[in-house]
Amino acid sequence: MKSLLSLFIALFTLNAWSQNVKEYDLYVSDTIVNYTGKKVKGIAINGSIPAPTLHFTEGDTAVIRVHNKMHHETSIHWHGLLLPNEQDGVPYLTTAPIKGMSTHTYKFPIKQSGTYWYHSHTMLQEQNGMYGAFIIHKKEAAPMPEYTMLLSDWTDANPHEIERSLHKANDWYAIKKGATQNYAEAIGKGHFKTKLANEWKRMHAMDVSDVYYERFFVNGKTEDQAPQFKPGEKVRIRVINGSASTYFWINYAGGKIDVVASDGMDVQPVPVDRFIVGVSETYDIIVTIPEKGNAFELVATAEDRTGQASLWLGSGLKQLQQPLPKLKYFEGMKMMNDMMTVGGNMKDMGMNMSLQQMDMNAVMYPEITEKKQPKKSAVIPEMSQHDHGQHGGANPDIVTLNYAMLKSPVKTNLPDGPVRTLHFELTGNMNRYVWTLNNKTISESDKVMIKKGENIRIVITNNSMMRHPMHLHGHFFRILNGQGDYAPLKNVLDIMPMETDTIEFHASEEYGDWYFHCHILYHMMAGMGRIFTYENSPPNPQLPDPKKALKMVYNDDRRYYFSAEVGLESNGSDGEMRLENTRNFFDVEWRLGLDKKSGYETEAHFGRYLDKNQYLSVYTGFDFRYHNSLERDKNLFGQMSTQDQRAVACIGIIYQLPWLINADMRVDHEGKARMQFTRKDIPVTERLRLWGSWNTDFEYSVGSRYILTKYWSLSAHYDSDMGLGGGLVLTY
Amino acid sequence: MKTFKNIFLALVATFFFTGCDAQIKNQKTETVKVYGNCGMCKRTIEKAANEKGLVKANWNIDTDMLTVTYDQTKTNTDAILKKVAYAGYDSDAFRAPDEAYKNLPECCQYDRPVKEMAMANNPSEHQDHNMTDMPQNSDVLSAVYTNYFGVKDALIQSDGKTAATKAAALNKAITAVPMDKLKPEQHTIWMKIQNDLKTAAKHIAETNDIKHQRDHFASLSESLYTLAKSETGRNTIYYQKCPMYNDGKGAFWLSQENTIKNPYYGSAMLTCGSTVETLKP
Repeated sequence: MKSLLSLFIALFTLNAWSQNVKEYDLYVSDTIVNYTGKKVKGIAINGSIPAPTLHFTEGDTAVIRVHNKMHHETSIHWHGLLLPNEQDGVPYLTTAPIKGMSTHTYKFPIKQSGTYWYHSHTMLQEQNGMYGAFIIHKKEAAPMPEYTMLLSDWTDANPHEIERSLHKANDWYAIKKGATQNYAEAIGKGHFKTKLANEWKRMHAMDVSDVYYERFFVNGKTEDQAPQFKPGEKVRIRVINGSASTYFWINYAGGKIDVVASDGMDVQPVPVDRFIVGVSETYDIIVTIPEKGNAFELVATAEDRTGQASLWLGSGLKQLQQPLPKLKYFEGMKMMNDMMTVGGNMKDMGMNMSLQQMDMNAVMYPEITEKKQPKKSAVIPEMSQHDHGQHGGANPDIVTLNYAMLKSPVKTNLPDGPVRTLHFELTGNMNRYVWTLNNKTISESDKVMIKKGENIRIVITNNSMMRHPMHLHGHFFRILNGQGDYAPLKNVLDIMPMETDTIEFHASEEYGDWYFHCHILYHMMAGMGRIFTYENSPPNPQLPDPKKALKMVYNDDRRYYFSAEVGLESNGSDGEMRLENTRNFFDVEWRLGLDKKSGYETEAHFGRYLDKNQYLSVYTGFDFRYHNSLERDKNLFGQMSTQDQRAVACIGIIYQLPWLINADMRVDHEGKARMQFTRKDIPVTERLRLWGSWNTDFEYSVGSRYILTKYWSLSAHYDSDMGLGGGLVLTY
Repeated sequence: MKTFKNIFLALVATFFFTGCDAQIKNQKTETVKVYGNCGMCKRTIEKAANEKGLVKANWNIDTDMLTVTYDQTKTNTDAILKKVAYAGYDSDAFRAPDEAYKNLPECCQYDRPVKEMAMANNPSEHQDHNMTDMPQNSDVLSAVYTNYFGVKDALIQSDGKTAATKAAALNKAITAVPMDKLKPEQHTIWMKIQNDLKTAAKHIAETNDIKHQRDHFASLSESLYTLAKSETGRNTIYYQKCPMYNDGKGAFWLSQENTIKNPYYGSAMLTCGSTVETLKP
């Protein structure tokens, strides 16, 4: 009898438990998509981009089987979820990679509620379409209808090609975006001095984003429709930024937006006119469908304003939202000039910037800065009286959300525990696309050891020129934003240039490695992050060879990128090939004449960048040349030059001077010295580039290049040895 | 001979028109309603809709009908009407943003088919932030503060003319302060700063040159701050700093709101600055 009872109890509990298990099968496959009239590769889950939305209720146990139907490996990370470390889904760091044609099962209890999402954490797969919404409902029924708005960016280009171009500082994307900020444009807009000062401070054209995207999506579409909502209805919209590198502004044609949650955690409702959602952030908002039988546009505009995607709420005549006007890049450049020292540091001029409160980019926003001029009209004097609202006064009244406005509805104080403070300076080199914390990539730095039960406070200063959405895996942190006990909880912190923010979290997990990284995909892959590791973590059964696994993690930011510039001109071939990573470079340069008389020159170097801003590098290499025709001359240092014939080993030092001039000082094994100054790619017009170089052997060359496509340019140049020539240049 | 000439002309005409038409491939023509008024509307609507080689638009002023011929593989009516709506014109598919409509010249402000979009939760759209309109209260210093904020708001808008007017009023208000009604400590402060205030106010009133006005506004603000520290009138006053002004030496101002609206650069650096002190009444 007793055993029967216990059996019954056992069955009952089993039953109760199994009711809470929610299972999903995700099939990951290569696919071909066509968004722009061009067929390109993508990665779909269950046949769709974005991946299907997963729904759970707090208290469920999630069982998710990921079937990799591709021939290469993948992974899925559950963004913002509190779960055991081996379920976190960072391949090689926390979880076994999901090899091609295999299945991996995730199983974890759902201990929270709110708006989250999931995505691949393998290389650049997220850019190819591997992202989906992960919605956890509260146990009690939802008080109002809701809709998920998953935002993303799409490019037809191969993401690896994008990454390579970024590291080469190829400005093709800027050309596509109309953001080259060239000299002709600068002069036309009265900003010649601004541009000059900008280059003096060794900055290339600045932008708020790096990549050109063909499309922006809401739930995989440029325009998504939600006609089911009725006039007067309040709707909860779950906004998720699942893009690889795009921040989005959110505006609503139907009135104010109430922000009610961020990164899955509730905040006290804040009414705003607009807000920006950082890469990988989520916001829950409540909007009201106005009392007219119409559809209202909820529009997400890319921060660089090259495009937008809309969600239509309600049905009927469509009320459009005024699009955001184009950025005024030169205003931004001017602001950057003020903020940047010649030494390459950002100075905040004592403003103690923090928490997105002071958006320096606002100088580029015409909707904020431009006073409305009364329109050309015969009756200005009369209308100006009653039309008061139109005159400029309205603009400063746009309420934009910032982190200081977020307040938790409940106290969020950390449990008692020892407090340890860490300082992270976000650093980067835009020109070489190096992104670091405290000037070190993930692979260059040790793991940060933490102890269970301690409270970690992190003071983050952004000394780079771009904003970064810093994401912490498996924990929520408090943003110390002046709300005291009610500081909001988040797992992503957007930090703007020159800002200093403080976050703190309780080391509440038992064990494991937890990533803390910039969520801009290309920044993360460049090594912008750290790994927090719990002391005395047990071995991870998913990673039988932890040393090798960690090496795989580190390899992400150790990769070398290849680039080349090959000229085929009437006076011969000039060219350069480079292989470079975070610190090192190999390069080969050549100048080949067409006949014996004009001879050849080649140089090959291996070098390394030394300082934080990467202005300074040293190299060693060799140099071969032969010119039949040239007379030997004395160089500037009074040494007999060996322009005619040379086969030497050399060492040198390169320093980037203001105005982006590279000064290259070298000495060869025969004691001959040479100093060379080079300036490349002066942006004269959108597609025209000038360059020049001169050295102390009195060799010089000047040239120009007209960019035709991403890879091809027309070129012409004059070289003191080779003479005048023209032709084509391949830029890879 | 005449026939020959006619044939020739007809041929030329045919070539000419087919030549024009050939510009748009995969043609499709549709006629849709676009609301508007006048000849100027016609130009704006067609300019918004036209796209070389893709869209050719013709708006009929009498019928309000827009005839569009477009390349159906590259675009569609909705996309064209969207552009027209961004220019300020309603159709039966899209209602233009109110902002775009308001920006139309007066003669183009046609009768909209849907007059108003009831904004659901948009409380008091035009909250009056013009402090000069505040009723005078009995507080002896309120007129000084009120007009000071008037000058400040004009500088935020980079409106030199208004700044001058407000400064003249401020100058009057300073002279009119009944010193016998001031409390002893404020009396002492007032005696010290009165002249500085007047000089600065006068200088601002004398010119419409915004740069000049801002220079004096900086000293005006600092003088008034010494007073505000002991007496703010009835409201909380925020003492705010612009770190960049005067070649990075910085400058201050007083404000009734914590949100930064920088009077030293106007729109260019509107939100640049920070509150350094909160002075409670």
